[in-house]
Amino acid sequence: MDKDLNLLGICCNWNPYACYSAASRANLPMPRNFRLMRVMCIGRINQALILRAFEMGADGVILLECKDEDCRYGPGPEMGHTNVRRVRKILELLGIGQERLVERQFSAHEKEELASSLWSFAEEIARLGPNPAKPRQERERQQAIKREAV
Amino acid sequence: MSLKDPRIDKMIGDNSLYMCLECGKCSASCPRMLTGKEYSPRLLAHKLIAERNDEAFIENSVWECLTCGLCEERCPSGVAVSNFILEMRTLLAGSKGLKGYRAHDGALHSWMRMMTSPEMEQDRLGWLTPELKTREKGPVAYFVGCAPYFDVFFAGIQVDTLSIARSSVKLLNFFDIEPVLLKNERCCGHDLLWTGDRDNFETLCRLNYAELKSAGVEEVILSCPEGYLVFSKYMPKVIPEFDLKVTFLLNMVAEEMYRGGKAFKPLRRKVTYHDPCRLSRKAGIVEEPRKLLGMVPELSLREMESWGKSSLCCGNNGFINCDAYSKKIQVERIKQARATRAEAMVTACPKCMIHLTCAMRDPVRRGSDRKLEIVDLITLLAERIEYKG
Repeated sequence: MDKDLNLLGICCNWNPYACYSAASRANLPMPRNFRLMRVMCIGRINQALILRAFEMGADGVILLECKDEDCRYGPGPEMGHTNVRRVRKILELLGIGQERLVERQFSAHEKEELASSLWSFAEEIARLGPNPAKPRQERERQQAIKREAV
Repeated sequence: MSLKDPRIDKMIGDNSLYMCLECGKCSASCPRMLTGKEYSPRLLAHKLIAERNDEAFIENSVWECLTCGLCEERCPSGVAVSNFILEMRTLLAGSKGLKGYRAHDGALHSWMRMMTSPEMEQDRLGWLTPELKTREKGPVAYFVGCAPYFDVFFAGIQVDTLSIARSSVKLLNFFDIEPVLLKNERCCGHDLLWTGDRDNFETLCRLNYAELKSAGVEEVILSCPEGYLVFSKYMPKVIPEFDLKVTFLLNMVAEEMYRGGKAFKPLRRKVTYHDPCRLSRKAGIVEEPRKLLGMVPELSLREMESWGKSSLCCGNNGFINCDAYSKKIQVERIKQARATRAEAMVTACPKCMIHLTCAMRDPVRRGSDRKLEIVDLITLLAERIEYKG
């Protein structure tokens, strides 16, 4: 797996995080170049936060959310769908491509499904390669980190 | 950095703050002050000169300003307030980070910064229809600006910013110009410049200039007042070899109309015209839009209480500091427009359209006395122009 790719998972605290912690306890293998950000509900994420992830150099973002009917607060996943639909259009305009933003829904017991979604997402982004529209500073910063490592 | 920095003394001198008489005309005309915000340009000038140790007040005020320029229009001493604010923001952002509450959580600034990527391949021309004739290379370019992005982002409030771009190309085609539309045009950087992000602004300028040059462009036509301001005033300062001719579309239309042979179809309507700050006060274009509206037969133009160079702001600039006070300014503006009994408000800036439409869509007061149709001037003209004689 390509270590240079930055993948971000935005994970709802309830069902998806339960799946994630169960998957970790069961020692299921998960992609390494992955950062997980836990939020109380996917409805808390707005378009700006998803775009900010790309601005800060993410190559792919996956939203891990509850099934529509399971949301603890009510409209969370539906807000997720709306945000993803709109941000994808902007990503398309920017030439980043809408495949870099993925949305998956889980029930509390689906730890294998979560692990396999993360893997297929990581493979998909590896196939697409790095995000072409990283801001200049972000690009320079990453190159500096690479140089230091060498 | 402390505010004792000698660079601030230089800014105060360069922008004539020492000329301040403390007459208070600035604060008395500031839309932010008049809607009740604790912000005063006069006090800011006083503190900078006499009480520089009040850092919290000075820093807050610098980020609070709308940079609409109404105060400097009224100032009898010629204090360049908005330029001072621009320089202060650049300095403070460089040392203390970007401040100011960013509207929409900074989503717009995010994509503006993403455009500093040299390798991006945008897909931004999907809105072109087959009857619009454009080219990839040529001497004249039309700079579209943020319209394709606004169209997606502001879909929720139904502002059709893309119609401005379509109408502009239609008008240019009418004048036998096939404009170059850049596939990888970047944001003009206006909002980054005015929110203190000088570094990214300069990158965007260089990228846009390089794209235009490689398409063989000699003249850029713009329909957006902010883009026009950046191209005519700020870009040449960033790029010393800048040699593009910059034209504002409405000026060009006015010139073409004076030449004769064309006319507008009649429109029986009462309208009022809202002057965008970047167009009226910053670029000094006040007469042309009114003359063009005057050329449309049967159209009657009614001026609002504040118009031309003393026109009220649309409440927001650079997508920062949108708050209840911005809304009050917008509501005040809509009230002024409705008081003229006009059936529609014509404006020439997509952002004025967005901000004023947003104020009308208050869920509590929807359908009340705030409703007023907003029409873009270019769209109105493009629909009605025809050859005559």
